[in-house]
Amino acid sequence: MAVKTLSLKGPDSKEIALQAQNALAGFDAKLVLFFASSSYDAPGTALQNAFPGASVIGSSSHSEYCGSSFTDGSVSLMAFDAQSVSDACVRVVEHIADEPDLRGTLDEMHSHFGGVEEVLADYEHYVGIILFESGAKAEEVFMDRLGTVTDVLFVGGSSSAADTGASLVYANGQSYEGAAVLAMLRTVNGYDVIKTQSAHIFSERKLLVTRSDLRNRVLYEFDNRPCGEVYAEVLGVPVDQIQNYFVSNPLGMVAGDEIFVRTFNQIQDEGITLHCGIPEGTEINVLKIGNIVDDTKKALDDAILYQPAGVINFNCLYRTLEILNEKQVEPYCALFGRYPSIGLSTGGEAFLGHINETSTILVIK
Amino acid sequence: MAGQIHSMIQSIITQKSKGNSVIANSVKTKMYLKGIAVDKYTPASPDDPAVIAKVRDIAKEFGVRV
Repeated sequence: MAVKTLSLKGPDSKEIALQAQNALAGFDAKLVLFFASSSYDAPGTALQNAFPGASVIGSSSHSEYCGSSFTDGSVSLMAFDAQSVSDACVRVVEHIADEPDLRGTLDEMHSHFGGVEEVLADYEHYVGIILFESGAKAEEVFMDRLGTVTDVLFVGGSSSAADTGASLVYANGQSYEGAAVLAMLRTVNGYDVIKTQSAHIFSERKLLVTRSDLRNRVLYEFDNRPCGEVYAEVLGVPVDQIQNYFVSNPLGMVAGDEIFVRTFNQIQDEGITLHCGIPEGTEINVLKIGNIVDDTKKALDDAILYQPAGVINFNCLYRTLEILNEKQVEPYCALFGRYPSIGLSTGGEAFLGHINETSTILVIK
Repeated sequence: MAGQIHSMIQSIITQKSKGNSVIANSVKTKMYLKGIAVDKYTPASPDDPAVIAKVRDIAKEFGVRV
């Protein structure tokens, strides 16, 4: 068995770690990835103590997925042995809101595997996992910088939190705020990345972002006009009702066949805040959200034509709330019940850039 | 003059990807996310100085010469 998955519940992190240790007795974990309800205190420390020989990384979560189950107040955990992940290099970048230079960190990670040329020569076996603590709201600049210093694909998302506890990420037995956890993996049989957003182009009209504040995630103008006015015009609705359409009609940057979703948050002074900043000069389409279950099934079935070792689903919290609202949790989870899989409801998703209302999925072959 | 932006974009993609199609696609997407609508530029596109400057900055970030 190259990958094992667990869904755990208990009174505290120590009990969770003990349950995991018992369930994984005899399994030589190289890497342990977990998504823990924020109601648990210091789960990273407890799990690192339980698996001292493994790299243990994780994120707090609002709600958790494991196989065909969806829960809250739990811990979803995936453990990889050397049959699926032969080596992992973990680094933590703190104070990401300060926009740190990532070159040194990525040089270290490449060097761990023999250098960047070695990694690129065996490119189809190397992949990264990235876990952001969402409070920093600095993911888009971080992903941009990460993409300039490595060609390795990093897949992941941002932490979320339940009603109790804080949004955190975990690595090396520590808990971190305002940080990103990076793990570069050398997989044995390779990997696939799936990005599915269940969002389709509502209008072919391209809107040019002519005024925005990327870092503060505020959009002001499309085509030199107030963005709310143009957005209302595209939707054909009164300007004073646009906030009712923010989730059902997000914005999308279309790159070839790929859509990168950006979701409006709230109207603020002259602009509208977003969950992901957009640089000036970007061309945007207005999107409409489709059927999450149908679109996810198609994305999984098109990409996974084999029995995967493990599937990790970083599913936007908005999407979780939508499937809960539409009573589609069971059919959605049944799709992932076909594989050894875990997931969480994220506060933002990551693949090449920072994304909203999307599911980024890492498939370990 | 025309076509300089297209030529610069292609040069960045070629230098960064070194023939790897997955990397070529990801570089292209990264440029979109930086605000350059890659596929919009053809050999006939006018040489907009602001866009040229932006693409030159991107090349510098990627560590390639254009």
